[in-house]
Amino acid sequence: MGATFVVVLREGFEAALLLGIVYAYLAQIGHAESRRYVTLGGALAVVASVVMGIAVSALSGPLADIGPDVIALVVIFGAVALLTWHGWWMGRHAREMRGDLQRRIDAAHASQQLWMVGLIAFTGVFREGAETVLFLWGLMTQLESVSGWTALAGGAAGLVGAAVLGWLVFQGGRRLSVQKFFAATSLLILFLAAGLFSAGVGRLQSHGLLPGGEPLWDTSWLLDDHGGVGSFLAGLIGYRARPSALEVIAYIVYLAGAGALFFPSFFGRGAPRNGNVVEPAEASRV
Amino acid sequence: MRRLVTSSLLLIVAVTALVPLAHRVEAQDKATEVTLTAANQAFSPAELRVKAGQPFVLVVTNNDPKKAIEVENKDLRIEKVVPAGKTVKIRVRALKPGTYVFVDDFNQAAQVKIVAE
Repeated sequence: MGATFVVVLREGFEAALLLGIVYAYLAQIGHAESRRYVTLGGALAVVASVVMGIAVSALSGPLADIGPDVIALVVIFGAVALLTWHGWWMGRHAREMRGDLQRRIDAAHASQQLWMVGLIAFTGVFREGAETVLFLWGLMTQLESVSGWTALAGGAAGLVGAAVLGWLVFQGGRRLSVQKFFAATSLLILFLAAGLFSAGVGRLQSHGLLPGGEPLWDTSWLLDDHGGVGSFLAGLIGYRARPSALEVIAYIVYLAGAGALFFPSFFGRGAPRNGNVVEPAEASRV
Repeated sequence: MRRLVTSSLLLIVAVTALVPLAHRVEAQDKATEVTLTAANQAFSPAELRVKAGQPFVLVVTNNDPKKAIEVENKDLRIEKVVPAGKTVKIRVRALKPGTYVFVDDFNQAAQVKIVAE
């Protein structure tokens, strides 16, 4: 039971984290009614995961050998693109969310972009979705024995655990001030996307599509990425105990490039940093 | 809402379009195949030998009638589900000499050592 709990919790953790952030984000910008985009994106991803699980079980040959890898790569890089876009968008609009204006973001502009938030939810859930479906499916077929039932209970508890984590992120995120929330999630999304980007590069190396792959260093004596805190950090910010040179380069290049997009005020252009003073020009726009 | 559905569909179409391409890559690849069988919560053989410095294809057959396995080696960034009763080919990049332990991520007790020499 313990083992199945851990497997499902780990597979569900990233999805729950992203969903928690996205729901909290909508609450923060005063667009709670747009939650349906996220819910629809998540629901579509569950359907897609089940379809993919069935497809993987039914197909054989090259399609089954390579298909899941190709899909995994598309989802990883798609998620990186979406998260980058979202961080950039938040960075650009952070200045409009100060003081009295904080809940009144340019509605037309926002609603135009919110369907993308649904896509973030889709990729977040779909990324580990098919695997989780196949794993749970295996558990369901063993229900004739007592151990089968306890394993299934463990799996269900894992799903609940992941959902609770997502809910805590949502509740915590909703209560932060808008500025703190944006700063915290921008930073988190920056590292999450850097980790995903680096993981995508690592997979390309693993398939032999990019050269290299030997570890550049080994910090597993300090923090192993196989379990506990290390595995948590692996899911959250892409921590690797033994990264390859290209993975490290990808991580750093992404952090630098996307960091400039996410935090324009740090780089001298964009948002003026004058606290809560609302400029008349901006106030009149609302 | 419609855009979300459309873009999800587009994503699926893009993925489907990429599969034949990947298939061509696979067809060109004439790497040696190494076979591995999983049944009763264990791999057999428990140890495999491969040539160091050469990519190879790990052909994994899951003989369990009901449970899927997930062949995993974190260091090699390999994570591949093999559904019940199915055979899946896993491409592995050229390895430096050494021992690489692969586990079933759904059942960590099942392990196989791959020795590159």
